[in-house]
Amino acid sequence: MWKFVVRRLLITFPQLILLSLIIFLMAQAMPGDALTGLVDPNLSFEAKEELREKLGLNAPWHVKYAEWVSGVVQGDFGESFRFKMPVTELLEQRLWNSFLLGVMTLVFTYVIAIPLGIISGRYNDTILDSSITGYTYIGFATPLFIFALIMLFVFGYQLQWFPTSGSVAPGLQPGSMEYILSKFNHLLLPALSMALIQTVSTVQYLRSEIVDTKQREFVITARAKGASESRVYNKHILRNSLLPIAAFFGYEISFLITGTLFVEQIFAYPGMGLLFLESINLRDYSVVNAVVLLFGAAAIFGALLSDIILSIVDPRIRIK
Amino acid sequence: MAILEVEDLKVYFPVKAGIFNRTVDFIKAVDGVSFTIEEGKTYGLVGESGSGKTTTGRGIIGLETITSGRVVFNGADVTSRKSKSKDMRKDMQMIFQDPYSSLNPRKRVIDIIAEPLRNYERLSKIEEKKRVQELLELVGLSPESIMKYPHEFSGGQRQRIGIARAIALKPKLIIADEPVSALDVSVQAQVLNFMQDIQKELGLTYLFISHDLGIVKHMCDEIAIMYKGRYVEQGTKYDIFQNPQHIYTKRLVAAIPDIDPRNREKQFKFRRQVQKEYESSYSNYFDNEGLAYGLQSISDTHLVALPERG
Amino acid sequence: MEMKQIEAQTQDPTKSPSGLKILWRELVRDKVALFSLILLLLIMIFVYGVSFILDQDEIVKVDLFAIHQPPSEEFILGTDYGGRDVFGQLIIGTRNSLTIGFAVTLISGIFGIAFGLIAGYFGGHTDNAMMRVLDFFQVLPFTMLVIVFVSIVPKYTILAFCLIFAAFSWMGIARLIRSKALQEKELDYVQASKTLGTSHPKIIFKEVMPNISSLIIVTLTLNLAANIGIESGLSFLGFGFPESTPSLGTLLSYATNPQTLEFRWWIWVPAAVLILVLMLLVRNVGEALRRATDSRQRRG
Repeated sequence: MWKFVVRRLLITFPQLILLSLIIFLMAQAMPGDALTGLVDPNLSFEAKEELREKLGLNAPWHVKYAEWVSGVVQGDFGESFRFKMPVTELLEQRLWNSFLLGVMTLVFTYVIAIPLGIISGRYNDTILDSSITGYTYIGFATPLFIFALIMLFVFGYQLQWFPTSGSVAPGLQPGSMEYILSKFNHLLLPALSMALIQTVSTVQYLRSEIVDTKQREFVITARAKGASESRVYNKHILRNSLLPIAAFFGYEISFLITGTLFVEQIFAYPGMGLLFLESINLRDYSVVNAVVLLFGAAAIFGALLSDIILSIVDPRIRIK
Repeated sequence: MAILEVEDLKVYFPVKAGIFNRTVDFIKAVDGVSFTIEEGKTYGLVGESGSGKTTTGRGIIGLETITSGRVVFNGADVTSRKSKSKDMRKDMQMIFQDPYSSLNPRKRVIDIIAEPLRNYERLSKIEEKKRVQELLELVGLSPESIMKYPHEFSGGQRQRIGIARAIALKPKLIIADEPVSALDVSVQAQVLNFMQDIQKELGLTYLFISHDLGIVKHMCDEIAIMYKGRYVEQGTKYDIFQNPQHIYTKRLVAAIPDIDPRNREKQFKFRRQVQKEYESSYSNYFDNEGLAYGLQSISDTHLVALPERG
Repeated sequence: MEMKQIEAQTQDPTKSPSGLKILWRELVRDKVALFSLILLLLIMIFVYGVSFILDQDEIVKVDLFAIHQPPSEEFILGTDYGGRDVFGQLIIGTRNSLTIGFAVTLISGIFGIAFGLIAGYFGGHTDNAMMRVLDFFQVLPFTMLVIVFVSIVPKYTILAFCLIFAAFSWMGIARLIRSKALQEKELDYVQASKTLGTSHPKIIFKEVMPNISSLIIVTLTLNLAANIGIESGLSFLGFGFPESTPSLGTLLSYATNPQTLEFRWWIWVPAAVLILVLMLLVRNVGEALRRATDSRQRRG
């Protein structure tokens, strides 16, 4: 058990280093450098060169990389040349918004997936099961952004049940009850849109897992012993099928990251995804790099966490 | 003249463990095996499953990496890196145990049998087709079947296709790894007799690997018994069957069924006696780890694993 | 000669050698899949045929006197904010999406298949090292990196887009192929080829690959559906096709304007429906093929 955890951790470090290298090289390939946004564009070429030298921008790449990494480790992502403020400050509010959206989506995902998966697996090959399977089939083939647009169109504009943009209604006192409710209200539609699509793979997994376990020897034995059907399900089948699913949330993070790009854009929700798209369009590359690095690291740690939890719950995957 | 000399062959599989996946132990699949095969003879390698007989064969032909030891084939060292050339392999071929998985299901018979020809000989399409048809005829299949796929043949026919492929390059040595154990008993004799026929016809040498003493008795001139990666006894057919020395060999020989029901009582007593001897003298034949001792020569042809006499 | 053989095979019921043939038979038997395939082919013929007649330059030309016109006789599906014909953009956009879908599936497929085959066939340390690389690529935030690369690549063309896209989407198929190749290489026919003096590349691509062709076909088909979706998603965000190339995603991106989303359905609804239909049809075919390869699920 511990061996697996340590070995898994040992894989994580090179991954993080590689990620940082990729982002650093990306940054090098991007037009302009930290100076472009800092200084007066009318400065002469010679003066700029001098400044560059002084700021260490002409140093060899490995020196620059080391400096950049040590900055990142201390939470310093440089300056946003558009907003003229440290990237870290810019990220703070956005990060919080995206985090809330992510958590909300995960909650919805499991709230939807677990009952649907259980019903579909327990009563497999009934009409109820076919309609759930039909939903997962269509959900698989539907791109998130189209689904989110339709949700916005139907529930935001036609029925007007939910706000259509932003993360909170303007003019509310942060911390007040109205503020919190408004935040929650703004989260619902984007989170639900993402969850309804994201959940299909979990529903399918849970269904096939239950259908599989149903035919295992130990379940048949439990039935033969005279255990009631609900006892068979609660004690024997669900315990075996639900735990791995709970561990999947780490893997879901990469999906969430892609999802936030689309959903935040569609619902004009001011999170990291929207910030990323805005910054790319504004060529504000220090922000772009910071977002990619944070999201990349989140995905790496998510996978790490899921792997470790899964190895505890399900010893089969430990054999690598 | 010896065509194959194996000297102290060892094939170890590493057992990995720990955080860095370091090798902590070895499974000694083949642990110091030596023998020679004379040209034109059939050498039988017998043992229970897991005894290392198949690994020995696969090590000789190069399918397993040899840990140490020397394999001299046709006067040249096959194990040294330099001579790992293709030409070396040309004269040594293999017949596989499972006639179902050993033929690529997606290839036609002509492509299966021509595979070695395409690797070593430059033949025109017409020449190649002619050669394949000759080979099919030689193994007793219709030359018209070159366009068929393996699944259209029975197990015995498939094994004949495998044999045709193995003899396509006119090799000197063929390693036959349980060539009939996947076949019906009725077909086994057919294939075995046929293997003896082509042996005479092409002057082949066989390394015959089997777990079935009856078949080995029928096929082989010299026989070696393997147990847990080591030789237990080696000798001529007469040495092994009429004069077994090691208790393991004795048990194996005693276990061969006798078809004459009148001998049943005698046979039963004999087995009881061997079993008793096995229990009482186990430590005379196996060391503390349950492995066989080193081989001692008891006649010109007969070697038995016994503790050093001294 | 070749024709004769095929004929002979179809006449003889005992001959069913190739997995591809089984796939085809199962596909034709599956009514939904057959219908999907036919409809898909019809859409493709229509889209490629009509876009051949349409003049792309004419369609993407801005006409300020015809902005946001609802469907009419002149413009079957109205016009967008630049007064451009939506119907024309829809046709050319569908063609482009399909073409890109095929190209990316092919490029990432070729790389992924080769990667998976090599890792699985050699196994051991080679496999281990290659799988660590794959793990890393799989955990990367795919969409973000594609967007970054798309925006920093100096000369942005359709080919560059395909290559960037493919560079981050070969992992799924590679993983599948690798696990299949790991099983396959243990079979005796591979061992036999080694003893017969066949070289590793030849064994990998001529012996092993044909034996996993059905898995390859199924995965490629399902990937095609996914790639059409991802491409339109990227175009939707504005990082797909180079500007001025019509695309389904671009039409949908007009719907980020609330006015368009609420009142000008003709601009985005047809594109949304088309993407959904295309993905569903391709998936239907792919799923039917998958069922056909999995004999346990085979229908009848």
